[in-house]
This record gives sequence, structure tokens and C-alpha cells, in this order.
Amino acid sequence: MTLERTSIDTAREWSSGGETARLAVMLVIAALLQTTVAPNIRILGANPDFALIIIVCVALMKGSEIGAVFGFLTGVMVAIALMEPFGLSAFVFVVVGYFAGRYAETADLSAGFAPLLTTFAATLVANILFAMAQFLLERQVPMGFFLGRVLIPSLIINTLLAAPLYLVVRLGLRGAGDLRAARAR
Amino acid sequence: MNRRRVLRRRIVVAILLLLSVAMLTLYFRESDSGIARGVQSVVLRVVAPLQNGTARATKPFRDAWNWAGDLFSAKSENNELRKEVEQLRVGVANELTTQAENDELRAMVKLRDDKIFPKGVRLVTGRVVARSTTAWYSTATINVGSRTGVEVYDAVVNGAGLVGRVTSVTANAAQVTLITDQQSYVDGMVMPGGAQGILSGSVTGDVTLQYVDKNERIKVGQLVVTSGRKGSIFVRGIPVGVVESVGLQEVELYQSIAVGPWVDFRKLDLVQVVVR
Repeated sequence: MTLERTSIDTAREWSSGGETARLAVMLVIAALLQTTVAPNIRILGANPDFALIIIVCVALMKGSEIGAVFGFLTGVMVAIALMEPFGLSAFVFVVVGYFAGRYAETADLSAGFAPLLTTFAATLVANILFAMAQFLLERQVPMGFFLGRVLIPSLIINTLLAAPLYLVVRLGLRGAGDLRAARAR
Repeated sequence: MNRRRVLRRRIVVAILLLLSVAMLTLYFRESDSGIARGVQSVVLRVVAPLQNGTARATKPFRDAWNWAGDLFSAKSENNELRKEVEQLRVGVANELTTQAENDELRAMVKLRDDKIFPKGVRLVTGRVVARSTTAWYSTATINVGSRTGVEVYDAVVNGAGLVGRVTSVTANAAQVTLITDQQSYVDGMVMPGGAQGILSGSVTGDVTLQYVDKNERIKVGQLVVTSGRKGSIFVRGIPVGVVESVGLQEVELYQSIAVGPWVDFRKLDLVQVVVR
């Protein structure tokens, strides 16, 4: 038990410069996909949330601390690219990154559906937080619109995209520091 | 050791959350020349070319995706277009019958024969490099900014009509709030007839002409353009769309008119900023 914990904790450590560079590239890719590609892909009336899915994938592989930091930076990058208010996306993505990472640290990730399940939960949480923020910013939040045109389509699209994106992110971040690899050891 | 690590993790998350809230507060409280917008401007100088490159590189794929999407919806669109042609026919007939009278009245009151863009107005062409993906905002980022003379409140158009207005500017990028955004308000009028109202967007993306006098007779298919009345940020006569339906209730003081915009907001690419 002690040995297992140690290996996982080692995996969560802020790793080599090379791996940080890979995470930085992943961050830029997430922000660019989210702001330039996602708006043009509309399925069931909603756009895929590439940034959110990539944050979940990174958090599942790297743990809660890196997940939260990656989520924060991605949120800031997306806000800058879209010239939207700073902090809102960052706040939501920190929460998502942290809890996805905590799930990876405490649950059994050997089941193949873990990324799908986590993305589903993350999409649910993120959309509710975004809707609450809109309400606080005194913008319209019609419940029917939120459920039918935002939440349900997003849950379906993001969950469907989770598996292929997880494989791509895992390929990009393969090597030392992977929680699953650490567990396997 | 583990306890220390858990504590560090919690502190990191708490700091990040506090930082997010602080940034959000700062963004809404500061002026347009504040720190947050300054940082945004500096970072955008690096990010904007990347976005531009990505937007160009992915254009063939976007076009292919749109083509495939159009193919699926072609059948239903065909029916919609037939209806639209009928509506436009009504609009054109109306326009033709009132054109002569309209010209005569213009001459009588010696109104200036407004061209859409008066003298002194310059059109700056830009490309949409990013779009908001959340349902709550209808905004786009374009690759021209203050360096080319773009300013906040400038109107943005494309070949089809009014796209929106500039709401934030940096040196080489600008944020455009589309007319479909729920916080977009444009003074518009119905032609022919000149019934005036306020065009507002909504969270669903629908555009409505509100506060139109109940006594005005509006018909489906009539044209909606910007009214450009005194103090407006939009010049007069920019096409917006056609009247799709008229909501008139006995108890209401005003009519509410659903407007179908001419601009296809899904396929926004090149736009022009009206710099005054």
C-alpha cells in the first residue's frame, strides 16, 4: 500500500522540463481547438468542448494538482483568445481539473469507461457552473433552453469525443508521470 | 510527507480559485485601459497570429464540414427557401409599390439621399479567427484592431448585412458582439414604412425587433435595416434581415417582430469594420 502510494505520488510530482513542454503544447492546442475549430462543429445544436475534455484527460493522467493548474491556464488562454471576461472559464476549469484528478487518484482507472464517465460528470458540473455564472451576471438563463439546447447535447457530444481525445492526449503525454503507468508499476 | 503533499495540493487549488475570482472581479471593475485588458492585449499579440494560422489551416475542413451539414439539411432548407422566396416576393411587391411614393416624399422634405456608408467612413476588412463556443455568448474575435483604426462601438458588416459591433479592441484583434447576442441592441426600422424599434438578440440566437408602435402595419417579408437615428453607432440603411413573424397582442403596448437575419452566423469568415 505504501509502495503504491509512493509511486503514484511520484507520478504526480512536477516532472521534467520535457514533460512540462508537452503539457504547454497541449494547453495551446486545447485553446486553439476550443476557439477556432469547435465553433464550426455543431452536433445536435451544440459545440464540442475540446478544452474541457483535454483538461479531464490531463487530470486523469497527471492527478489533481496538475489537473487544476492545467485547467486554470487553459481557462485563462481561452478567455484571452475570445476576449471574454478573465477568470470565469479559469474558475470552472480549476474545479473540473481538480476533481477529475482526485477521481483518478482515488478510483480504479483500469476500466475503459473512466474517461467517458469523468467527462460526462465534468461536462455536467461545468455547464451548471457556467449557467450559474450567467445568472449572477444578470443574463437570461431559460431552463428549457439550458437543458434542451445546452446541457443534454453537450453531455452527448463531449462523452462521445472523450474516448478518441483521451487516446490522443495519452499518446501526446506518454512516458513518465502517467498515473496509470505508475499504478501498473 | 503525504500530509504535507495533500496540504500543498489544497493550497494550490485554493489559490487558483481565489485568483480566478479576483481576475473576474478586476475585469468587471476596471476601465478599458486597466491591467486585465492590458495583459489580454499583450498575450493576444502572440496568440492572434496562431489563431489566424489555425483558422486558415482549418478552413478547408470547416468548408467540408459545412458542405456535409448543408447536404443533410438541403431538403428541409429547400422548403424553407421556397417559403422565403414567397415572403420576399411580397416584400419586393410592397417595395415597388411604395418606391415612387417614397422617392417623392424624400424629395419633398429634402432628405439627404443616404448611401449606406456616408463619406468619411472607411471599411476595414478582417477575418474571424475565433468564436465563442458557449451558448451564453455570441461573440467573435477578428484579426484587425486599433492598429488599423478599429474602435469600440464600430459596426461590423459582411456581404449579407449587419454582423454586430466591436465591443473590445487590442492592437491587432477585436471582439465583435454579434447581433444575436442577448446583450446586443441595435436601432432598426422596417422598410418600406419606416416603423422603428430596437433589434435585440437573445440567448436562443433569435433576433427580435421590439418596441414597434402598435399602430404600425408590418407584414411578413418586409425588410429590416438599421435606422441610424441621431446618436446611433450604426449608420443608416445597413441590411439586417426580413420580418419572419409579427407578434401583436391586444394587451401589449408595442409589437414584437421576429427578424430572420441575412447573415449566416455559422459561416462567418471575412467581415468589414465600419470605421468612422
